[in-house]
Amino acid sequence: MFLVHLWNYIRGYVILLVTGNSVERFINICSKRQILLWDIVRVTDRSATMKASLRGFRLMRPAAKKSGCRVRIQKRKGLPFAFSRFKKRKGFKVGFFLFITLLTLSTSIIWDIQINGCKPEMIPQVMNVLNMEKIGRGSFKMGLNPKAIASKIRLSVDGIAWVGVEIKGVMLYVNIEDSIDAPPLIKNNQAFDIVAERDGLIVQMEVYAGKALVRKGDTVKKDQVLVTGRLESMYPEFGTRDVHAMGRIIARTWYESSLPVSMEYTQRLRTGKTHQVTYLRFLDGKIRLPGAAPAFDLYEVTTYDKTLTGPFGVSLPIGLTIEKSFEIMERQVPLTFDEALAIAEEKAREELAKRIPPDSRVVDEKVHHYTGENNQTYVQVVVECEEDIAGLRPASIQ
Amino acid sequence: MKRGIHRIKPAKKDRESLKSLGERLAKIFEIPGDVIGSRPKVTAIGRGEVMIENFKGIMDFQDGMIRINTQNGVIKVMGSNLVIREITSEEIIIGGKISNIDYDA
Repeated sequence: MFLVHLWNYIRGYVILLVTGNSVERFINICSKRQILLWDIVRVTDRSATMKASLRGFRLMRPAAKKSGCRVRIQKRKGLPFAFSRFKKRKGFKVGFFLFITLLTLSTSIIWDIQINGCKPEMIPQVMNVLNMEKIGRGSFKMGLNPKAIASKIRLSVDGIAWVGVEIKGVMLYVNIEDSIDAPPLIKNNQAFDIVAERDGLIVQMEVYAGKALVRKGDTVKKDQVLVTGRLESMYPEFGTRDVHAMGRIIARTWYESSLPVSMEYTQRLRTGKTHQVTYLRFLDGKIRLPGAAPAFDLYEVTTYDKTLTGPFGVSLPIGLTIEKSFEIMERQVPLTFDEALAIAEEKAREELAKRIPPDSRVVDEKVHHYTGENNQTYVQVVVECEEDIAGLRPASIQ
Repeated sequence: MKRGIHRIKPAKKDRESLKSLGERLAKIFEIPGDVIGSRPKVTAIGRGEVMIENFKGIMDFQDGMIRINTQNGVIKVMGSNLVIREITSEEIIIGGKISNIDYDA
């Protein structure tokens, strides 16, 4: 019944007041003529109200004439009448169409791109491919072919085993599965030598294959052949046999770093004065909001984004980017000799830490300071390590 | 005398109604009468709704009484605040607080 009412409402109906001596006759004629009437209520002896569809109302005239009744519309109801009221309102119409177009427009573009599953360093490469294809935030979904994009990414970026591109609503998802690089193939019948990767003093040698050319206690230079993969037979007529030299060559290595000791230290202090520049961010674009540039000589800048969060925790592509500048004051602080030395030593250690390979073991560390030219004091840090210096290299063909 | 007339009238009516081919067929094949014949089917749901199918027309429509013409005579529905919920050529639905449904009234 509810559905019937809803349908009637959509089609529109009228509430009629029928007046006459024989309302019954009018109702009978209407029902015979397939005019649907409903909610007929007697008002007085000579009148009744009833509801009829618009089509029914149009066909009612002969029935009214025949029964001698007068039909008057009391009320018009339904969507057609509700809309007819809006016909005169121009602004409403314009707004409505604007709303529809904006809605369709905003749902037919990509609002955000998500790249999942790959190494972080690969993301710029993938974004690059997308940029080359002119796919970004704000591009239309219509012309996009996810399969074509996926194959493009797959071909352009190395180290990808599988790419899936998916458009879900206004989001573009790029799912990447990293491939594992195959180890370099080494031919089995080729001679390989073990060479020293860096200078050192051999403290321990374990040779599994090949013939050792050096012994424990020998000092070796970088690129010196330590174990050869070309085995010579005791009897020259048998010729040589090629193997992959294998082994662990533990050597003592030294790393040295010397830095000038500075007796002054530049201290950077924030003066407490700050300046803020605000940008309005929409999709990938940035609009700078009015405001002066920072008027500081020296300053540090911190940038942070403020993202508008929509309902259900959805982050919207609209937000503010705030660039905060802090004024900086540089001050030279005189140091005592010990303090200066400690700072220089710390710096030298930091520099060394970058050079020392991670698989090495630090055995000893020596720190001295000496005076060089111009009366400048230097600090020298020498780190003694033990590490495997074996490096594989194809044997040179003689 | 009076008794005689009384007896003849309903007998004639009964015969007439039984003459209808559809009704006789319905009786032979044990099909519900309303399927084939044009005899009225009165359905009352609770106290608030009476549906009459196969009616001919309304004879009287008042707030407390509605009389409906059918092939088997006039059906009178009495009650208070009676309304016709819906009326088509096949069926009529009467709403309101119903107290009586009378035949031959």
